[in-house]
Amino acid sequence: MHRFPPFVFVATGLALAAGLHAQDLVVKAAKVVLAPDSVQSDGAILVRQGKVAFVGAEIPAEARAKATVVDYGDTWLVPGFVLPPNTLGRDRDLAEASLAFTPDLRAVEAFDPWQDELARLPASAVTALLLSPSPRNVAGGIGALVKPGKDGGSVATAETHVALSLTQAARNPERPPTSLMGACDLLRTAFAAAKQGTGGGPDVAVLRQALGGSRRIVIHADLLVELLAALDLAREFGFEPVLVGARDAEKVLPRLVQQKASLVLDPLQPAMRVTQLRLPTRLAEAGVPFCFGGRADQLRLAAVLAVRNGLDRKTALAALTRTPAQMFEQQASVGSLRAGCGADFAVFRGDPLDLGSAHVATFVDGVRVFGDAASPAATPTPATAAGDR
Amino acid sequence: MKLPTFLGLAAAAALCALAPAQDKPVVYRNARLWLGGKPPIENGVLVTAGGKILAVGGADTKAPDGATVVDCAGKTITPGLVDASFRAANNNDFNEQGDEITPHVRVLDTLDPDDRSFERARASGVTTVHVMPGTRNVIGGLGCVVKTWGADPKSMVLKEDASLRITMGSEPSQRNMAIRGGQVDSIYYRRPTTRMGVVWEARRAFYDAKEALQKSQGDPGAPPSAGIEVLTRVLKGQLTAVTTARSEQDLRTALRLAAEFGYKTILDDAQDAHVVLDELVATKSTVMLGAPSATVISGSAGGDGADPRSATVALLAQRGVPFVITTGSNLAALDLVREAMFAVRNGLSPTQALDAITVEPAKLLGIDQRTGSLAAGKDADFVVWSSDPLDPSAIAESVHVDGINVLALR
Repeated sequence: MHRFPPFVFVATGLALAAGLHAQDLVVKAAKVVLAPDSVQSDGAILVRQGKVAFVGAEIPAEARAKATVVDYGDTWLVPGFVLPPNTLGRDRDLAEASLAFTPDLRAVEAFDPWQDELARLPASAVTALLLSPSPRNVAGGIGALVKPGKDGGSVATAETHVALSLTQAARNPERPPTSLMGACDLLRTAFAAAKQGTGGGPDVAVLRQALGGSRRIVIHADLLVELLAALDLAREFGFEPVLVGARDAEKVLPRLVQQKASLVLDPLQPAMRVTQLRLPTRLAEAGVPFCFGGRADQLRLAAVLAVRNGLDRKTALAALTRTPAQMFEQQASVGSLRAGCGADFAVFRGDPLDLGSAHVATFVDGVRVFGDAASPAATPTPATAAGDR
Repeated sequence: MKLPTFLGLAAAAALCALAPAQDKPVVYRNARLWLGGKPPIENGVLVTAGGKILAVGGADTKAPDGATVVDCAGKTITPGLVDASFRAANNNDFNEQGDEITPHVRVLDTLDPDDRSFERARASGVTTVHVMPGTRNVIGGLGCVVKTWGADPKSMVLKEDASLRITMGSEPSQRNMAIRGGQVDSIYYRRPTTRMGVVWEARRAFYDAKEALQKSQGDPGAPPSAGIEVLTRVLKGQLTAVTTARSEQDLRTALRLAAEFGYKTILDDAQDAHVVLDELVATKSTVMLGAPSATVISGSAGGDGADPRSATVALLAQRGVPFVITTGSNLAALDLVREAMFAVRNGLSPTQALDAITVEPAKLLGIDQRTGSLAAGKDADFVVWSSDPLDPSAIAESVHVDGINVLALR
């Protein structure tokens, strides 16, 4: 059994204690986006113990009457953004330099709940992060779902995906493998061992779990030849990969569809070639799930640029919220505002996919961690369900 | 009004280029056909459809109904050229330096279908290439045979595990360092650091493989390591060994090592082959002669002492040593057809020269059932040349891979 770092227990304890005494919170806005395809006008959510307990008309009158009501008026309330695999600038602690093959290392062990970069995520509407081992290792380790918080970050899921890498970063001239051939051979040998019976050490066991479907296999691959190698491995060992980077994805589009691959794209930039800017649209047309990765402060711009280049708004918003949650099998807790999910949301003064819409506030687990309180000041007020649909 | 020559050429090229490569039959008439391994046919007819050659013959060869006819009067059609030792442009990643003995790594894993060297190869009539791992390791890994174009990367592959590359000489020992009491802070503090060490590494690997083979005689299911498994395939004659050796001493070492462990090896680059002709004849070895036109020594270890001679290729032919002409790892190599041209200038017959870049390498690589010659049933890989391809002024007007004119795709 894995030992959890002490801060996890502390954080959990604090959250439990807070939950016992916290009052329910009703947050209202002109538009509440529960999920990209489910938008309520003059909507509301009821937050209880850090989770979305009820939405819209489902909020019981009694609970509403007792809750603190926060009304953001003419704004949009959207699920918090989910930042897919990222080291949050902590490469030094998330790339075990002595070996290239370390699939059993856990990113959660290197999680610093007080890290400045983590605290800055809510300013970009990011409420959850797939903390991931660095792509500098061929098999980096196991990722974790973590959240920023007012009183330090917390771990939402201690073990999520297993991170592999075939990029140039993983081919280190000072330790094996130094080449893509060597990296492929390393992974092929390990997967073959994992597929055979129950032998091997804890590293092979992690791959065996992944092949058994209990965690997603994420492969960093940018260039055509890296993507082909990743897809070959996926086909050979029968898994549906999540590919990170995927600059040359368009060149392997039919195989991405055929092998049910999902993509984490590098953030779009205005200076990119049109073909790159249109890649999200092409992926959406082909039915390949994708989300945006990279720096937190680039996520929204990436989605906006994708929309400008033909992507429909629902898919773009999903790429910031629900899709990464689904991609990493965390949709039960993050990525939407359905009952049972964490009360992680951002408030914008308009459609978040219009750059003119100001970012007003961000909440994580029902606690405001960025931005302004609603005005007028929240006080327990009777509320009717009339405005909630 | 007389059109400038280049416009005339362009128009002719366009005509041939227009020849479609769909399922519909196409008939190329009035060309001189170099079949590969057989005498040429004057005023010949080549019929293709669906990416395959339907028929090859004289002027009376029947054309299928509804076929598109392309007049190739004055032109020569050859099989698509086959480069048996090809250097990809993006080859920085072709050496797995984590170990000196890496028989099991596959160059196919790192071969970029968009590599720009394929485009250059196609432009000069090369439709199939044999790509091997680099020469920085004693045993570098598995080579593959691919076409220079494919509708998708998978369709380019003709043979996944085509060869095992071994390298003699000082190239694999470059950069390695001896431990002399200092701090070991690099993987390159290792053997070999000398030519002797290179051979020692290879010998030890084959020794281990031989031992594994002997142990497994009564238990064929015993799983060897991936590297040993590859080496045992070489020992059993199931996989072709290609030893890159340039200078006399390295060629002799390559032959000695092969004899010691009882495997056959092709000698690659082999710039000093002219010095060891007797040994080549005695061992019935095949030579992949890299860039016969080059006067500089191949590889990064410039001090290896090879002595390239223009006459080598003709000497191999005279002594009956099987050989093919390649561009090899020599940066000074010309296009493959021009290397054949150079060989003709130095005493090789045109037939031998063309066979050495078409049918012979196809046989050597075990792909002659698919490509390397013009015969019914084979892949429609061929080149329409403006004139005799061994004429310096000849250009490849259209280059067809699986029937598709890949020059027209640019």
